[in-house]
Amino acid sequence: MLIQATCAGCACLCDDIVVEKNGEFKVKNACRRGAGIFLNYLEGRAKPSINGETSSLEEAIERASEIIADSKKLAVYGMDTITLEAQKLAIKIAEKTDAFIDDCSSFCLGNFVEACLRGEIPTTTLDYVRDNAYVIIYWGANPVHSSPRHMSRYSYFPRGKNRQRGYEEDRFLVVIDVRKDHTSKIVKKNEVFIEPESDAELIDSFVKIMEGKAAKYSGEVAGILREIKKGDAVVFGGLGLRYGLEGDFKKFYNLLRKLNEFSKVYFIPAGFHSNMRGFNESLFEKTGYVNRYSFGEQTSRKEFEFSKLLTSSIPDTTLIIGSDPVNSLPFDVSMHLSKINTITIDPRRTFTTEISDVVIPSSISGVENGGTMVRSDGVKIKLNSVFENKFDDTYILERILERI
Amino acid sequence: MSFAFKVITRERKLEDCKPLFDEEKYKKQLEELINLLEPLEKATETGLIVEEDLCTGCANCVVVCPVHASEDPYGMGSGKGPTIENPILLIENGVVKVINMLLCRRYGKERILCVACRENCPTDAIRFLEE
Repeated sequence: MLIQATCAGCACLCDDIVVEKNGEFKVKNACRRGAGIFLNYLEGRAKPSINGETSSLEEAIERASEIIADSKKLAVYGMDTITLEAQKLAIKIAEKTDAFIDDCSSFCLGNFVEACLRGEIPTTTLDYVRDNAYVIIYWGANPVHSSPRHMSRYSYFPRGKNRQRGYEEDRFLVVIDVRKDHTSKIVKKNEVFIEPESDAELIDSFVKIMEGKAAKYSGEVAGILREIKKGDAVVFGGLGLRYGLEGDFKKFYNLLRKLNEFSKVYFIPAGFHSNMRGFNESLFEKTGYVNRYSFGEQTSRKEFEFSKLLTSSIPDTTLIIGSDPVNSLPFDVSMHLSKINTITIDPRRTFTTEISDVVIPSSISGVENGGTMVRSDGVKIKLNSVFENKFDDTYILERILERI
Repeated sequence: MSFAFKVITRERKLEDCKPLFDEEKYKKQLEELINLLEPLEKATETGLIVEEDLCTGCANCVVVCPVHASEDPYGMGSGKGPTIENPILLIENGVVKVINMLLCRRYGKERILCVACRENCPTDAIRFLEE
């Protein structure tokens, strides 16, 4: 039996995956990262538990609801790999309990997503990029690792409606990174790879060259600007750019605005969790902020970032959904989780489930449950379920919401 | 075409050279030739070798293939999964698999030395025998 599936491994959300279930289990068209999710979906699964003792799923949900109801300062965290429907329920739980809510975007690409949602920078869809973009710029991103099919499915390699001659004639690739990585290896002889010492200096170079002045990276930048004049350009900004800007996002946004006086230049954030943008959009719709929000104080502040809340010992309980902060946050931060009530909803055993007071196993989005996710460009993509598991995040969060 | 080239293109086998196997004086050369031709065992008819351990399944090779682009413009040529049966390359279980070498431009009498798939592999998972 052939099943059409959508891979929820990264924010590319490739919807052309074919899963073959008769006889040998095969996954076609998915990258190594995505195929692994389907092929190993039964590996390392979490089991329901309360204080380290195995329990039933209902008991774990009941206990989690009690802890949440008794908590005075709850922090809800994660949610970047669950569906939009489940994210909305998690936001409702946070609202009902006056909790803090945050996801990985506060230290990932949340600032860029917020700028796109507020209309501060021109953005477009990946389908538009495939059909029209001539200059493809990866700035501080390594899609070969973070979103393996990004270049072959949406940006540099595919032929599009107005780009039918392929990558050799109809695309121009620019990679900006602090080191030569796998993405920069694809840059051909007459394309550009820049290894900047500072992103701010490179931005200055763009501005100065546009004003007709000399600049540090004048050779490379002048070449890029010449190509940008020939057709639409898109900048895919990754974590390297986010941290390279050292908090001065306005400098980069001003550059994008200036480039748009010159030609059509769009920005799309690249390389994050499958539904991080979905969480940002859902919270933005509800509160006007994309992350680190306190329903108690009705505002978003830097101090409400999950890691800062933990180090300040503000929350007495955390509800972690589909994330592994013990693995991803520094030990000095995550060690605080062992001092407070920790409830984790996750399909798999992780470092965080190992230290949690209550573990509630859920299904894997895109493999065992369907729903909706938002791609890195803001387009909503439907997921199908390949296997059945009715105990998904939506089921669990609905039960918790009913009981608190 | 020389015998050596025919061995590489698999039209002849090393065993076809009788003196090499029969005469004692060629023993050393025979050993060296067997070692030299060992990669041939792993290679396809067009000399393509895929190192699955290095492959990330990015599908750059599948999309850049000029044959795929002309045979399946709205599928593989546009960056999506194949809509034709038996493409040359296919991403299966996260790595590239060689499915149908007969379609490859490096195969048959009118062959050309196309290297589009290898050139755009970011992890050097694809290489050719002649390199």
